[in-house]
Amino acid sequence: MTIQISSVNTLIIYFEERICEEVLDQVQRAYRLLKDIEGIIDITPSYHSLLIEYDIGLYDYKSIQKQIRHHLAKQNPNHKDKKGKLIKIPTLYSEAVGIDLARVAKLNALTIQEVIEIHTQTIYRVYAIGFMLGFAYLAKVDKQIVTPRLATPRAKVPKGSIAIAEHQTAIYPKDSAGGWNIIGQTKFDDFTQFEVGDSVQFVSIG
Amino acid sequence: MSGFEVLNAGLFASIQDLGRQGYAHLGISHSGAMDEYAYRWSQKLLQHQKQNQNALELMAGLRLKATAPTQIAITGANLSFKINAQEVTIWQTHQIKAGDILSFDKRVSGQRAYLAVKEGFILKKQYRSYSTTLKENIGARVQKGDFLAFNPYSAHNRQRVKSLYIPNYEKPLILRLLLSYQEAYFEKKEKEKFFASKYEVTLQSDRMGYRLKGEAITPSRTDIISEGIAFGSIQIPKGGQPIVLLKERQTIGGYPKIGTVIPLDCFKLAQAPIGSQVAFEKIGIEEAQKLMKRYMQL
Repeated sequence: MTIQISSVNTLIIYFEERICEEVLDQVQRAYRLLKDIEGIIDITPSYHSLLIEYDIGLYDYKSIQKQIRHHLAKQNPNHKDKKGKLIKIPTLYSEAVGIDLARVAKLNALTIQEVIEIHTQTIYRVYAIGFMLGFAYLAKVDKQIVTPRLATPRAKVPKGSIAIAEHQTAIYPKDSAGGWNIIGQTKFDDFTQFEVGDSVQFVSIG
Repeated sequence: MSGFEVLNAGLFASIQDLGRQGYAHLGISHSGAMDEYAYRWSQKLLQHQKQNQNALELMAGLRLKATAPTQIAITGANLSFKINAQEVTIWQTHQIKAGDILSFDKRVSGQRAYLAVKEGFILKKQYRSYSTTLKENIGARVQKGDFLAFNPYSAHNRQRVKSLYIPNYEKPLILRLLLSYQEAYFEKKEKEKFFASKYEVTLQSDRMGYRLKGEAITPSRTDIISEGIAFGSIQIPKGGQPIVLLKERQTIGGYPKIGTVIPLDCFKLAQAPIGSQVAFEKIGIEEAQKLMKRYMQL
């Protein structure tokens, strides 16, 4: 772990530079240990780092690092709920709403039914939240259904669309432009629930 | 109802405050007043607590009609501000009567002015802030025909900002920056080029960030895993033209960053018109924190 100065009132904590569950667990653990400390204003956890904004009325760049190291040293490795909460997403997979479903199947030499089975079998983790409010980057998608982004993003992807891009999958929390492959649709609408480290599973309905 | 009728919205206007804190983990942009220095003075002039009620962040062309009396404070850019076609001094309070026309006719210096009313405009906070964030559909840009409500206020306790504290937005802009932890991703000659060059503010500059044009900078690494982005971060995307990320920046991103412009200079950059030139110089963390602490005591 390293701590670096990122701006006049932010630091960034880095763990090993890899996208994997072990590193994500460290990020999640650090987030939980630091989020309620007085004088820490905002934390942005993501893949292998945490950006920390602090109150420079309370800390300078040295004392905040000391405080952070002190709190991280306390961590209990046997945290019960290590994978975060499990959020189940009822999903309608069909060619009508999943307009790229057939293409994802074809590119990977699978049937549509196989794509659905593979997508629902994995329990994903939230590696990052960004792009827009509640847009959770979920990984890792089984390599059998890894699919590149569209060459040209669509001007409008409907809210609730479930999509794949490379090793990641996500739910669009609202209508927006987007270049991911749309394979399904959900009525799930509680996007502020997602926290980095949480587990997510898609459940096929209909 | 008492408030302002929007006769003309001008180039761009939105309600802002000090921004949203504590929601970056949900992916919500910090947002808030682009020139926070000018915004804070608008609040201080009206003796708003913690200098944070709200204000209209506006650009040239805005015209309003008051339907009730209030006390206002105007700070920030000089946009030839007039009350009933009479030019009046900015960086101070004014008393407004029902029927008064407020207009910001043309840009003289700076880009964004702040119009605050006593006790603030009446609207609901979202995620503990009044700040408009367009990409999240939190609030909306002010449009012709909108009504900006406030509680009537008839007393006038005249306040003005001492000239010593009023920035000169025409001065050549040198942005002080902390070299970042990703400094290692830029070779010495790239950094030298960056500090020796002048960059121009381009048309693709908005509340999210200012895109600059000049000598291209080439990072030695581009495969950055997405991570949180601090206010003032200078991203170097493909093509090598720097982007200074400002109040309405996205929360995470994966471009290499050469450094971070200190907030006080980001506020000045927010007032720089398209086509103006900026240069960069280094500052150390100790000095940057000293300046920031002094600013917080404003």
